[in-house]
Amino acid sequence: MSSSELKAKTVKERAGQALNNDFLRNAVKFTTERLRLGKKLASEEHGNWDVWRERGRQIRLHTIAHLDYYLNEFAEQARANGAHVHFAETAEEAVAISLQITEHKSAKSVVKSKSMVSEELHLNKALDSIGVEAVETDLGEYIIQLADETPSHIIIPAIHKNRYQIAELLSAEAGETLPPDTTILAGFVRMKLREKFLEADIGMTGCNFAIAETGSMVLFENEGNARMVTTVPKTQITLMGMERIIPSWADLEVMATLLPRSATGQKLTVYMSGISGPKREADADGPDEMHIIIIDNGRSLQLGDPEFQELLNCIRCGACLNACPVYRHIGGHAYGGTYSGPIGAVLTPALNKNVAEWDDIANASSLCGACYEACPVKIPLHDMLVSLRRRKIEAGRGDKLEAMGMKGFAAVMGNAKRYRSAIKLGKWGQKLVVRGGEIRTRIGPLKGWNSYRVTPSLPKQSFRDRWPEVAQEIHSTSGPMNPEIAARLKERLLAAEFRKGEKAYDKRN
Amino acid sequence: MTSETDHNWLNRLEEQSRLKQEQFMDGIAAKLGRDRIRTAPEHPFRGAPDFWKEFEWPLEQRITQFTANFEAAGGHVVRLSNREAVSQFIRDKAVEMSAATILRQQEEALSCLRLEESLLEAQVLSWNDEADTDWRAVAARADFGIVMADYATAYTGSIVVKSAPNKGRSVSLLPTVLVAVIPVDRMVTRLGEILVQFDQAGREQLPAGIHFISGPSRSADIENDLTIGVHGPGIVYALLVDSYEN
Repeated sequence: MSSSELKAKTVKERAGQALNNDFLRNAVKFTTERLRLGKKLASEEHGNWDVWRERGRQIRLHTIAHLDYYLNEFAEQARANGAHVHFAETAEEAVAISLQITEHKSAKSVVKSKSMVSEELHLNKALDSIGVEAVETDLGEYIIQLADETPSHIIIPAIHKNRYQIAELLSAEAGETLPPDTTILAGFVRMKLREKFLEADIGMTGCNFAIAETGSMVLFENEGNARMVTTVPKTQITLMGMERIIPSWADLEVMATLLPRSATGQKLTVYMSGISGPKREADADGPDEMHIIIIDNGRSLQLGDPEFQELLNCIRCGACLNACPVYRHIGGHAYGGTYSGPIGAVLTPALNKNVAEWDDIANASSLCGACYEACPVKIPLHDMLVSLRRRKIEAGRGDKLEAMGMKGFAAVMGNAKRYRSAIKLGKWGQKLVVRGGEIRTRIGPLKGWNSYRVTPSLPKQSFRDRWPEVAQEIHSTSGPMNPEIAARLKERLLAAEFRKGEKAYDKRN
Repeated sequence: MTSETDHNWLNRLEEQSRLKQEQFMDGIAAKLGRDRIRTAPEHPFRGAPDFWKEFEWPLEQRITQFTANFEAAGGHVVRLSNREAVSQFIRDKAVEMSAATILRQQEEALSCLRLEESLLEAQVLSWNDEADTDWRAVAARADFGIVMADYATAYTGSIVVKSAPNKGRSVSLLPTVLVAVIPVDRMVTRLGEILVQFDQAGREQLPAGIHFISGPSRSADIENDLTIGVHGPGIVYALLVDSYEN
């Protein structure tokens, strides 16, 4: 991360920086658009998408509701496969275990495939501190590692770099000038990383899914680097969030249907690998020793919280990023955490135990609900963002000026007579500032709003004035409320009631 | 580090891990507001939706769909009538591409192609047929890797390979070109038809590595520009064979 990025403390400041970077804005827009369209086509072609989403949601809900059983089963079965299983409550513990293994193996280098958990742990820095070289081998991750930056998109980590910047970074590594040609650049990386794979003492991966019944872990990828990392080095370490579990291989079919389509619009990633323990005695490849580190790091805080437990259902596809109008404008770095986009806006404060304190990240959303629509396991992210904001206010960390304004708003809106007088006053007063039907001045109460937008002038005939005829029209055309919406509203209401009663347990299970 | 201290060290780690495991599970149960669950809960939503489990294409359509999907992903599909045709195809391809080293799985179904004898232009090696060889390194320098597919799925256009002492994971990964021989009777419609077999077989029957391969290695990490062959094979041939048995 560059020093100016480090200085930016709030989402607003970081977003400001992102908005001033034309390339970043266009690249993010183009990429998210490509992925979003790919997902749309793939899910439509597959058909019955909502039935699959619902099935995915049910499998995740069921697993999380019985997580103690399934996680325990996974650990036992993985041990029976010959893997060494470890548990880490915090990032520090996970790092300590990883370093212990690395030191015990006298390892000089670690090759890594993409793992968001490892980003949570800042593991590369820790390995570096004991003199071990950690090499990211996913093409995009390798690029941003050379640039000393963090991923800005969960699926396309180097979304914010153009090929001229990439050519410069790789040229420095190659010791010769490489042209900004994708094929040549990728060819150099293939050659360079081939050496790294063959030399490395340890291979390190994340884990997309862990199958409880057989103790297997499953990886989805397109490049083949995760296969390299799990096939070539003598020791393998898998970093796994404690919620990655699914019960069976049969359930994997549902996840394999949802994940690649939602992430990139593919029917399946080029490689889907199920790894069950280290190499068998007589095998001639695969790791001799396999370690699985199961990590909590704030995840279990969501258990039993009716508003946030469903966060653990997330399968890390990135579809909510691509669907989010805010992410598309400001890119991933503006969120300031490991995870960006709508999922990051909720997950970052949730994992950090400070739902109420996290700066202004929950405000980086327009609450339009596109994230929920995009989510393959139907996590109600927009509802969670509202809950986050509410908890922030409840904890007394709201914006004082906003609170004052809202009080004034309530005073005016709560009384029809006052409202009428205010509007009359406004219609008269706006004559001083309206230019071509718009108000652009940034004075008085309009300062905040008009810094980013334009206020339309008050119309001669307001909605309120037209209400009698509108009401007539609605009464003659409206039917009963869509039952799905009604059920959802009722469910939220129940959950809120339930929360008041404390000792939470997700009623929907 | 001697193996003895290694052993002690791993034992010590396991002891720690088991203690922690209990704390972990107790903590989860407490947060969920109930006692620990120690027997398998009923899982009413296991696997794909019911309508999907009945979905199946006839063979010819499976072949058409597999071909369309695999080619869309950048792979090549060739339909061949029998074993002789497979042997001929590989020989021609190897000569055409000037392959110097060819590594195949050590399987009867591949040794009977007799590539060792008929392909004099290249060195043909059989995976793990002697100890004291670094087979990973052999795979890394091979031009062609030749495997038998254990299964294939039409709906996703995937080849499935399972590891074994005579079937290296590296053979389908490290060479520049991958050639997978798929007898058409190993082709099913859906992923689920194969996945449930792993459930039915049970943990003890599973190999260390099960790999679904759906085309050449690819990346779009540089400016969304599709690049083929980033780490794994950039050229992949799926040879669909009508009658592979003699």
